[in-house]
Amino acid sequence: MKAKTFIIITLLFVSFGFESMAQDHISPARKQAIDSLALEKVRDLSKYITLIGDKETEFSEAQRVIDRAVELFMEGSEVGVSSLFREGINYYEVREYFERLMRLNYSKVDIEWYKIEYVSDLERQPDGTYVGVITIFQKFSGYDQEGGLVYEDVTKKDITVYVKRKETQIAGKLIGFWDVLLGDIRVKETSKE
Amino acid sequence: MKLNILINIILVFIFLAPAEGQNLGSITGDESDLYAQTKQVNQFFRRFNNEEDRKGNRYYPGDSLYRDNAFRKVYLKMLFDKESSFIQNSQKEEFIADVSNTDNPVFLDFHGNDWFAELATTFKYYRKKENLILFLQLEQERLGYKWVITNVYFDQFLKNFNKGDKDEINKKFLHPMSHELDFMNIHKVFDNPRYAEYYASKTYNPDYRTLLFYEVKMGNMTFEDIGPLKFHFFQVDGWYFEVNYINRPGGNSGWLITKLYKISDKEKEALIKFYLPE
Repeated sequence: MKAKTFIIITLLFVSFGFESMAQDHISPARKQAIDSLALEKVRDLSKYITLIGDKETEFSEAQRVIDRAVELFMEGSEVGVSSLFREGINYYEVREYFERLMRLNYSKVDIEWYKIEYVSDLERQPDGTYVGVITIFQKFSGYDQEGGLVYEDVTKKDITVYVKRKETQIAGKLIGFWDVLLGDIRVKETSKE
Repeated sequence: MKLNILINIILVFIFLAPAEGQNLGSITGDESDLYAQTKQVNQFFRRFNNEEDRKGNRYYPGDSLYRDNAFRKVYLKMLFDKESSFIQNSQKEEFIADVSNTDNPVFLDFHGNDWFAELATTFKYYRKKENLILFLQLEQERLGYKWVITNVYFDQFLKNFNKGDKDEINKKFLHPMSHELDFMNIHKVFDNPRYAEYYASKTYNPDYRTLLFYEVKMGNMTFEDIGPLKFHFFQVDGWYFEVNYINRPGGNSGWLITKLYKISDKEKEALIKFYLPE
């Protein structure tokens, strides 16, 4: 149902005037429409992360949310996490990342998001797919059984966005639309002092 | 003069005042530092050229503030690491005046040449952890662009090809009648591996990328991790600057100019040769 709604919204927002559009150029108006779609996906991801991390979310529900979250991503996407006090980057498949988040050993977890969202330009890669990056900031707080704050960080998340031209048949007519999928995510801890 | 100062104060206020973002989440509070931070390299380009507003919304050609010089000067000041000891204030001012010159402004071009990424990496080389530096550049291919490796810096490769003793170099050659003896003296090239490349033509330059790929293919070298990333820019005539990610609280953070030097065309050519060998 959600997928259908998404396709309809996509077609409404993005396919209008598609045929007349030059294939190697995205107009500012089109870019804004694509940005909105990409931001919608990133917001969905943010909601899913909050739900997965929430200790009050039941296991079966969290699993269902993880499935939904994974659907937002291109196959093989990874999350690369680095912290201020450790060298190197830890890589996780997106599902593994969400499952680790679900299993975090805190009694209570608060995941909050800053309002700021930074959307890059869309650049074309050799196969014609457009690629961009959306940057968001997350505040994570983990509490122990007594309700004491035991861990807190603010992370910058740079999320890859792939935008591909696709076609679908509706009532026998071939309609073009832009499909948006998320890709690799780079998670960097921000400096506190 | 006073009017200029007033305009600058107003512009700084406009830039640094908290901007109302799109509603993603629940955190309230002052996010002005995050807005001021240059969050992506893409934003560095846009700010350098004044191609976005303070909220990060893009300006396009035809928009009244697209590449506007007054706003640009404020952005340009924000793009410098204020704590860098490699930047002289007078040079910074000169650079800003240079690139925002009304008659001949200079803009950065994402697809233009003359900017390079420098990525620190670690590899295991014969089971020992080693630091290598990869240099990359954007290259056009088919419908778009991709990053490609242009050079590799690894001290172990380098020291093996470091032409040292001039006397030694002068003695290492195959005499011009060697062919008459079926090059029976060719073994001299390989007797002492240390000097083998002295027998190559004068146009010979070791290709460190080939060495890296070969060692990786032979299983002698395996990739471990990435380290810090920086960028080298040569797109402004007469200038070189380096851009690094500064992770610290406050607005003067993110992708910022950390080094700035005046360079001649000759120096530019020599530096570029290091990132992009012929």
